[in-house]
Amino acid sequence: MIGFTDQTTDIYGAQLSRRGFMKAGGALMVGFGMLRSGAAEVAAANTSLRAFDASLPGSWIEIRPDNTVLFRTGKSDFGQGTIYTAYRQIVAEELDLPFEAITTVVTGDTDVTADGGGTFDLLGHGSPNIRKAAAYTRQAIVQLASEHLGVPAEQLSTHDGMVSGGGKQVRYGDLVKGKDFKLTIPVSGDLTSIFGLAVGGNPPMKPVSSYKVIGKSYKNSVIAQKVKHQEPWVTNVKLPGMLHARTIHPATLGSRLVSAGKVDKQKYPNAQVFVKGDLVAVVAPTEWEAIQASGQVAGATKWTEWKGLPGKEKLYQHLRNEADWNATPVQKSRKSTGDVATGMKSAAKVLNATYELPYMKHAPIGPTVAVADYRPDGVVTVHTHTQNAQALRGELAMMLGVNTDKVIVKTYAGAGHYGRSNGGNAGAEDEAVLLSKELGKPVRVQWMRNDDIQWSTQSPAAFTDIRIGLDANGRIVAYEADHHQPAGQDDRPIGAVLAGLPTMPAPSEKGGMLTSNATGSADPWQYDTVPNLEERYHGTFQVGQKASPLAIGLRDHSMRTPTQYQQNFPRELAISDAAALAAADPLQFRIDHAKEERLIHVLQRLREESGWQTRPSPQPAAASTGSTPVRGQGVSVMFRGGVYWACACQIAVTPATGDVKVEKYTIAVDPGIVVNPEQLKRQIEGGAVMGISQALYEEVAFDEGAITAADWISYPILKMNEIPEIKVILLHNPAVGSYGQGSEAANALASPAIAAAVFDATGKSIRRLPLRSAYNKELLKA
Amino acid sequence: MLTITVNGKKREVQSAEDTPLLYVLRDELDVTSPQFGCGLAQCGACSVLLDGKEVRSCITPATVAAGKEITTLEGLPDRWAKQQHLSAAQAAKTLHPVQEAWIEQQVHLCGFCQNGMMIKATELLESKQNPSVEEIKDTFTNSGPSAHLCRCGSYVAIIEAVRFASTLMAKGGAQ
Repeated sequence: MIGFTDQTTDIYGAQLSRRGFMKAGGALMVGFGMLRSGAAEVAAANTSLRAFDASLPGSWIEIRPDNTVLFRTGKSDFGQGTIYTAYRQIVAEELDLPFEAITTVVTGDTDVTADGGGTFDLLGHGSPNIRKAAAYTRQAIVQLASEHLGVPAEQLSTHDGMVSGGGKQVRYGDLVKGKDFKLTIPVSGDLTSIFGLAVGGNPPMKPVSSYKVIGKSYKNSVIAQKVKHQEPWVTNVKLPGMLHARTIHPATLGSRLVSAGKVDKQKYPNAQVFVKGDLVAVVAPTEWEAIQASGQVAGATKWTEWKGLPGKEKLYQHLRNEADWNATPVQKSRKSTGDVATGMKSAAKVLNATYELPYMKHAPIGPTVAVADYRPDGVVTVHTHTQNAQALRGELAMMLGVNTDKVIVKTYAGAGHYGRSNGGNAGAEDEAVLLSKELGKPVRVQWMRNDDIQWSTQSPAAFTDIRIGLDANGRIVAYEADHHQPAGQDDRPIGAVLAGLPTMPAPSEKGGMLTSNATGSADPWQYDTVPNLEERYHGTFQVGQKASPLAIGLRDHSMRTPTQYQQNFPRELAISDAAALAAADPLQFRIDHAKEERLIHVLQRLREESGWQTRPSPQPAAASTGSTPVRGQGVSVMFRGGVYWACACQIAVTPATGDVKVEKYTIAVDPGIVVNPEQLKRQIEGGAVMGISQALYEEVAFDEGAITAADWISYPILKMNEIPEIKVILLHNPAVGSYGQGSEAANALASPAIAAAVFDATGKSIRRLPLRSAYNKELLKA
Repeated sequence: MLTITVNGKKREVQSAEDTPLLYVLRDELDVTSPQFGCGLAQCGACSVLLDGKEVRSCITPATVAAGKEITTLEGLPDRWAKQQHLSAAQAAKTLHPVQEAWIEQQVHLCGFCQNGMMIKATELLESKQNPSVEEIKDTFTNSGPSAHLCRCGSYVAIIEAVRFASTLMAKGGAQ
């Protein structure tokens, strides 16, 4: 640096400073200044300040002299491509640059990104940060251009990376050439919380009507890198001297270690056993030796017996009769209205039904893997694949009893997690850290398929009792629901639990947002003409949690469309059941009970595009016996994250076998602003396939001590020859003003629509998931 | 010592001969496109071509590959270039039509399974020029030790990409 200026300019609450002149290069870097709020100061005290200095790589956006741009986000890509497509589009749009000018996207790593937060709802809660950062930056550029051109800022406009006005113009890059500008924008929040930091203030945003980049189908550049095998996958991280480890998990979810087996040194001379508390692992210089030796040692390791689970066959009996639903306060829907008891008394007909759905697994196609490198100075670097690197950093620091500045989390491409690591860990990270610390070498922990199914978290089971009163005209006069679901989020790293080291608390009535055993409303009510409504939400401990000496049991976690999946399945199937009781077409029945125009429009378009037959269920030729397939149709709706969804499916059921084949599947969606149509369509198709898989197959098998599902045979998912014809209708609706996204909700629509279609085809109600052939066959006989 | 041929290059293998090919390729030879998904031949993430036939490297002992030609995702461009007798200069900037199609159709969601999907597509298209949608579904579901599984639900995109790759191959590539 060869000189300083003393000027700082206020840009809508952000501070633009000129720190001097550089001999080469130059940049406008956008960084953070913490707002003076309590939360921010707590976070600042607990985290490395390095991440907040815009002169270091903890910045968000860099405008470079060649008119290219770098941006950083603490979120990671989990296969939606949103960060490499929609985020680039949003940044380019607010900066008034071409999409191609955004040449570098830095994601996830805790030492080079600053905002943290979980990778979920990226275009909802996730997008304001980058959008505001870009908007502040554009204002700063206009200010710099005003000084450079000698033209008042209000006479200047931006387009395609140029500022022009007063008959003059300048490229953004020329403004920063040889200069060192810094823009400090206001932020608040807790870096290692699930939501991370939030950018504050209200910089002027570009009006939606002038969007040029948003709305186009740009390709995801990372797909080409993956196709060419140029993208580094987490599975490929290899460090000098690295050891391979396999964890030997306890025999049950409540077993304690009696004695760890010894390595057969004749066969596996380089392997060794690691024990800390109830955490047992085997390490070896090569992966194959570690795998073989861990199998041998596991066979010789002794655990206490434990039986604290009801077993899958008695799950719903346990949930209804034995689980403690007084463990935590009952919550009510904010939309509750009228007087349900009086409404129900006036009803001409009443539907009274119970809906049940099982535990399901996130089931990433690659099991959790992490490499940790713990150094003598006490700093550990963890190479992994996580939806929330900063939260993981916080968890690992807590486990080690150190400040977060001792933990660096580097992130890489990996198998999709569908929510499993949105609170930080996926399973292997803490174990890798403990092993590396103990052994003084980098350690790679790779869970095997059975570990990943049996020792990861799962989407909680649930049941719901619903009563719907219909008046003489077949309209809903009263709706009453009691949703029951165990605690839905347990982010305790399991290796730390087994090793007896500090973690966040187990879910309880005392817990905060992510450690509570309460269940809240997650499925906003859509039938606004219903005069009397009451929805109650009952929570409790995780199944087995109180009985397990490790306080774990069947650990639950948010999974794609969390809790709303558990609440929308019963509600939407009950609405179809009520339509049948009213002898009404289930699609028109929904329209008749809705007020929201966006929802009505989505249903109307769905009716036009899906081949829907307007008539009541069951269909006239419905049959619950015989080996000839019978056909049926079903519909469901959802409102999630500002987006209206509806789906219709046509299916075939063979009563004699119980086989259900989904033949056609149509989704209509009003997302508000469609940022990238092609990417959104692919997200929705993927969500739809996952949803059909969940509806037809998915259920976690467990006995009285442990999860017994162990592989893709015992936890089957949908195969390619089972997919229906899938049609996606995007109803771009810019007037809404918010960005819509895709995979969530798309998966949850399937199960109530398919179950309703089974009723339409057979005349028999199946109110329990999954719709597996063997179950269907029994229920159709009943 | 075992010698195997990977993507046209002879490689000496230090690992024990019963080591599954997956770990030999990934850990010893740094050929990392085959992924560990299950270790049970139940998902297809680890697939490679062995003399043009898809095998699951996670359960295939390395010795099985002796004297045979292994092709992985890394080797698909060369495989296509050889089949098309492309010059070295052309070959250097050429991807396999299956790869071109996967990019064009934006197939990947997380993409962890797509190594095996592209290997399977290559095997299919080398034996059948213009497979129907039903043939594609059947191949990816029934033709190997297990169905090729995708948890993100990219099956629709895969089918579209195989169809697209088929038209590219009929034209002699993407150019």
